[in-house]
Amino acid sequence: MGVTMELKAESLGRVEGELDVKCRIDDGIVTEAWTEGTMFRGFEIILKGKDPQAGLIVTPRICGICGGSHLTKASYALDVAWRTEVPPNAHLIRAIAQASETLQSIPRWFYALFGIDLVNKKYARSPLYDEAVRRWAPFVGTCYEPGVTLSNKPVEIYAIFGGQWPHSSFMVPGGVMCAPTLSDVTRSRAILQYWTSEWLEKYWLGCPIDRYLEIRSWNDMLEWMDENDSQRNSDLAFFIRYCRDTGLDAYGQGCGTYLSCGTYMDKDHYQRPDIATRAESVICKSGVYDGESFHPYEQENVREDHTFSFYRGEGMLHPFDGVTDPIDPRDGARQGKYTFSKAPRYMLDGKATPMEVGPYARQVIAGSPGGLPHQDNDPFTYDMHRTIGPSVMSRVIGRMHEAPKYVRRMQQWLDALDLHDRFYVKPTEHAEGRGWGATEASRGALQDWIRIEDGRIANYQVVTPTAWTIGPRDGSGTMGPMEQAICGAPIEDPEDPVELGHVVRSFDSCLVCTVHAYDAKTDRELARFRVGGGC
Amino acid sequence: MSDARPRVLVIGCGNLLRSDDGVGPVMIRRLLDRGLPPGVEVADGGTAGMDVAFRMRGAAHVILVDACASGGEPGSIYELPAHEAETPPLEAAGNLHSFRWDHAITFARWLLKDEFPQTVTAFLIEAATTAPGMELSRPVTEAMDRLVDLLLDRWTRGGTGAADGVAVGDPSAGRGPEVTADPGESRRRGGEPGVASASRSPVAAGDAS
Repeated sequence: MGVTMELKAESLGRVEGELDVKCRIDDGIVTEAWTEGTMFRGFEIILKGKDPQAGLIVTPRICGICGGSHLTKASYALDVAWRTEVPPNAHLIRAIAQASETLQSIPRWFYALFGIDLVNKKYARSPLYDEAVRRWAPFVGTCYEPGVTLSNKPVEIYAIFGGQWPHSSFMVPGGVMCAPTLSDVTRSRAILQYWTSEWLEKYWLGCPIDRYLEIRSWNDMLEWMDENDSQRNSDLAFFIRYCRDTGLDAYGQGCGTYLSCGTYMDKDHYQRPDIATRAESVICKSGVYDGESFHPYEQENVREDHTFSFYRGEGMLHPFDGVTDPIDPRDGARQGKYTFSKAPRYMLDGKATPMEVGPYARQVIAGSPGGLPHQDNDPFTYDMHRTIGPSVMSRVIGRMHEAPKYVRRMQQWLDALDLHDRFYVKPTEHAEGRGWGATEASRGALQDWIRIEDGRIANYQVVTPTAWTIGPRDGSGTMGPMEQAICGAPIEDPEDPVELGHVVRSFDSCLVCTVHAYDAKTDRELARFRVGGGC
Repeated sequence: MSDARPRVLVIGCGNLLRSDDGVGPVMIRRLLDRGLPPGVEVADGGTAGMDVAFRMRGAAHVILVDACASGGEPGSIYELPAHEAETPPLEAAGNLHSFRWDHAITFARWLLKDEFPQTVTAFLIEAATTAPGMELSRPVTEAMDRLVDLLLDRWTRGGTGAADGVAVGDPSAGRGPEVTADPGESRRRGGEPGVASASRSPVAAGDAS
């Protein structure tokens, strides 16, 4: 006799009102899920009618931890719309800045966000549990501490070029607003080296990044793990052993289709940004994997479906024509809608298809055949995908795999800067135009579509990686990527569904960079701290 | 990366896209426009909570400015010493996107250890609205200007910006109005998220067959 129950895990970020997951559990296994984004973000409405450059100010404020990625794609969107010239140095600085932001996110996410659940009491019976606690217990773990305390190092590099991080507006159409000196470059190299040797090599890899980067397949990874004590005792090798012992390699698969819009423009390839030549200009490749074969990624195939989202009506639109017309969630609920997130889909052979985005997705795409010489052609993650399949564990490995790769790239980009050349070419501010700007934020494909009419923003649509991930069902009833990934998860203790936390956090979706007003105390509690009499 | 330790560092926190929630970052710009006295630096903390902790490194005195949603009169200003305001970060550490400066204070004690500032003071301005938008409401704009005046006045007299050790000359400072709002209700005011009361995933389970 089967047992069916419904479970609602609210606040999966452990805060009120951001991402609620509702699921149906049959015999201890999740069989259906609904992800509910409970807050409306409204930045598209704020941007309408504003100066075209408002996107450079507004969109980086959407997220407190990937502001540099927002700035990158907002700049490229205007570059395309205004048909600017972007000099090689500007591509390099944008890439350095954005990669530094992604690097800071990697250990911070692993230890401070994802890793907390690895020391959940559920795993106390694992023979590896004590070791996991010793390494990863919040604040006191031997690896938690250096991982988190050094995590700001990479963005110090961002601040050298961008003035501050994250809320900088130093990238502009036509380039970047900075004039770095040789000492800025030298200092950046030193900071990067320090972080690499003091955390990445010392704790995460247990070996020089050059050795790690020789890994080209899952088999190579297994050999690497047992090559010597240092590598065997690294956080990465221990993480893999721990996942295999605790079953984190067995669920969280997801939709099995992957999308990367690519990022990091090669300095010699994108002087005249446009839509047509972008795919051949990126270093981190764009592409789509349908579970069997690879396809080029074309922005015109993106749609946003709002059938189950709290917006008027139903159906799908391309972001150039996107509409943000919110309705009262209570009215929406009566129509069967359940979230403020729209459902991005990719048209594949005429079918609207959900896509997983993020580091795992882009590293699968890095394994696609036929890459150009300047591109990142790396078979490791695709091979892991084919060999052991997707899971919570695979998703984490794919993400962490990027750290040494981006360190290597950043070193090359810093070396390639020509301090005597231009960083900015003043653009012509055309009164009409359409632009598409894209990048890969730490947590996946991040893109803006802008239409400029009469020198003002006529429409601005931002499609975030979080929307791709936590978006709801579409008009055909197909679940979104995170909903699919949750299905199949075994829930041992419905009172503490840590398994849902593992799956949800393996995507690192972003939801609550919305209101940060302090509300830990009520007015009554605050009364004695009041300044002045009136207001 | 400056070698000189600022004596006072003002960090404005909040989201510029949510009306009054942006008062912290807006006030940073206002302070820059008015001109900073020697030894005072400002930083735009925005919504990057954990980085507020990193940013405190090296400063002797830190002033945090943020909007609050306590249920009080919009435009009210509150001044809290750090130990009154902070929230242990583990309660919200599950998502970096929700990591706010009050978590950052506790986090910073752990992170900075001996380099934790001598004083950390939070100034909170009661928001009228945190709906999507980039304009501050009138009471919050006025409160921000009053707070700028107050801080500049305190700095001019050699203070750190915090009330301690410097007479503010306002007899009603520290004495608030009677308020009867229900705490639970005010926390959920306007449907905005109550963040700080977070606990581990509450679960409502019902079963059928």
